[in-house]
Amino acid sequence: MARVTLADVNKIYGTGTRAVHAVQDLDLTINDGEFVALLGPSGCGKTSTLRMIVGLESVTSGRIRFDGQDVTHLEPQQRNVAMAFETYALYPNFTIEENLTFPLEVQGVPPKERRRRAHQVAEMLRITPVLKEKPPGLSGGQQQRVSLGRALIREPAVFILDEVMSHLDAHLKFQMLFDLKRLHRDLKRTMIYVTHDQVEALALADRIAVMSNAKLQQVGGRAALYNRPANAFVADFIGEPPTNFFTARPLQENGSLTMQVDNSTLRFQLSSEAQAAVNATGGERFIVGLRPQNLTLDPNRGDPNRGRLKAAIAINEYLGERSILTLESGKARFRALVPPETAAGQRDIIDLFYDPTRVMIFDAETEDLIV
Amino acid sequence: MAATADIAQANTQAAQTAERWRAVRYLFLIFLGFWLLFTLFPLYFMAITAFKSAAETNLTQPTFWPQEWFPENFVGVFAEPTNFSALVDSFIIATGNTLLSLLLGSLAGYAFARFPRQAGGENMAFWMLSNRMFPPVAILVPMFFLFDNTPWGTDSHISLIILYLVFNLPLATWLMMVFFRDVPHELEEAAYLDGWKPLRAFVKVTLPLVLPGMISVAMLCWIFAWNEYLFANLFVGSDVRTYTIVIPTFTHGSQTLWNLQMAFSLIAMIPPVVLFIVLRRYMVRGLSLGVVKG
Repeated sequence: MARVTLADVNKIYGTGTRAVHAVQDLDLTINDGEFVALLGPSGCGKTSTLRMIVGLESVTSGRIRFDGQDVTHLEPQQRNVAMAFETYALYPNFTIEENLTFPLEVQGVPPKERRRRAHQVAEMLRITPVLKEKPPGLSGGQQQRVSLGRALIREPAVFILDEVMSHLDAHLKFQMLFDLKRLHRDLKRTMIYVTHDQVEALALADRIAVMSNAKLQQVGGRAALYNRPANAFVADFIGEPPTNFFTARPLQENGSLTMQVDNSTLRFQLSSEAQAAVNATGGERFIVGLRPQNLTLDPNRGDPNRGRLKAAIAINEYLGERSILTLESGKARFRALVPPETAAGQRDIIDLFYDPTRVMIFDAETEDLIV
Repeated sequence: MAATADIAQANTQAAQTAERWRAVRYLFLIFLGFWLLFTLFPLYFMAITAFKSAAETNLTQPTFWPQEWFPENFVGVFAEPTNFSALVDSFIIATGNTLLSLLLGSLAGYAFARFPRQAGGENMAFWMLSNRMFPPVAILVPMFFLFDNTPWGTDSHISLIILYLVFNLPLATWLMMVFFRDVPHELEEAAYLDGWKPLRAFVKVTLPLVLPGMISVAMLCWIFAWNEYLFANLFVGSDVRTYTIVIPTFTHGSQTLWNLQMAFSLIAMIPPVVLFIVLRRYMVRGLSLGVVKG
């Protein structure tokens, strides 16, 4: 078990004009026993980051430390890291038991002890019945558990899971989420979970590190990422359906500051805190963000200061436990999450209400959160 | 009812299609039969000629069954005691070349499969393979002078073992590259993370997976080296003799002793045929190029 520190880590593939900056100035600390998810779209540098942590990829610059010990230039064999691969990477010509005990064999653990531990791990992961079989005969879920077991059988300093659920169906995924959460609770290992699926990350991790375009965007818990995203990217990436964005300019109205959306009649009221912050920047252009979950059809709920938007319905998607309305006002398009029984049809004009404190304002240039 | 008529028509069509496919199948079987006759006849004729007398082989009207059996031919071919050692020489050269081709070809193939950019890329690999495409006779004379200037000269086992690399190494490299590519790199990475050093991970994890492929490569190399005549004829002859250059020596004055040639050929066929039978399980798996898919 270990605390993992990445200090100013960079990864550049290739040289000269064809160089690709895959990871840029990454600073991240993962505490001992913590479960951290590395979340981002494909190509954001998360896989390069984890490959540098385990030592399969060299570090262009910066330092990686385990419990303060510099491992930047150590071989993977010397780091005591375990990894479960996206493709499982089970040795096809070994039996499941041999797969599980392979890491112990090189450590010189006697065969009897190896077998005992293989059975112990198999018990924990419910794969005892297949111990004598070979990987191609197993189901995806079983293969996945074997690959977890192979990583768990020794006591790794860091345990890394690379997109381990992307090939599982929804039902198995749910089961695996539960298993992983339980494993982490029982074993209290430092775990790094790499994924592009925010649902998995939100469900599992103590903290989530969001990456995009080779850079770390924000690290934090669920609530922080959801309610106070560092920038428009995080606001867009976290939450389903994604946040609505509008380009807008500030407008004085009856002594208070509002946000007038471009090419639309939509106008957002701001909290007094937001008004002060926007005034302080003195900017002319902003991005306004509002989550579909924060729009409601009910005018009576909450305080009388709530803002109101008038828009026409373009699509009413019925999804069973809820409906998603896609609305239009001028050139602006946005979505709202409403109760499933909402009967409004296409081209109906409706009023939607929101809490002004939920409105997020981003800088139009840097896309960083202002308030 | 229109629907019933449609179904009936569909059934007739299906029956017609099935009929047509059956006809194609029969045609194909007939073709295969002819093909089999065509390829087996020379072997058959070789086998019976090996048992004929010299006189019978010279009849203007060839016989397709020996009038008189002459198994003595198989003793006759060894009247010259060096004829047996020619088989041994061929064996040494073929085996030595195969081992060397496998060793170097595996290393190069691994490099092309795992580090394509550092190894020079697909073009480099293809250039190596293209070395097999020129007519061998084009380099016959230059190679003779080249090897003549080496300490071991041309008339030695080592010269042919090295020379045959020209033909076998590109083949071994290319095929091994394909086999190594089939083994996911992640398996080796998983082994590194499990604590295994690269060489031991290679031996433990990768090698068993490419073994069927490796065996078929070995077979191809061995058979090429075993059967090679052109270079052997020019290079060796006194200290070392391969069986291929012994066969044309079965003459009597101006007369070719077909029966002895065929008897010796039949003996020379035994090692590859035995090898093939013993290793055919691996050959099939290796040549289907799907070692670890599953």
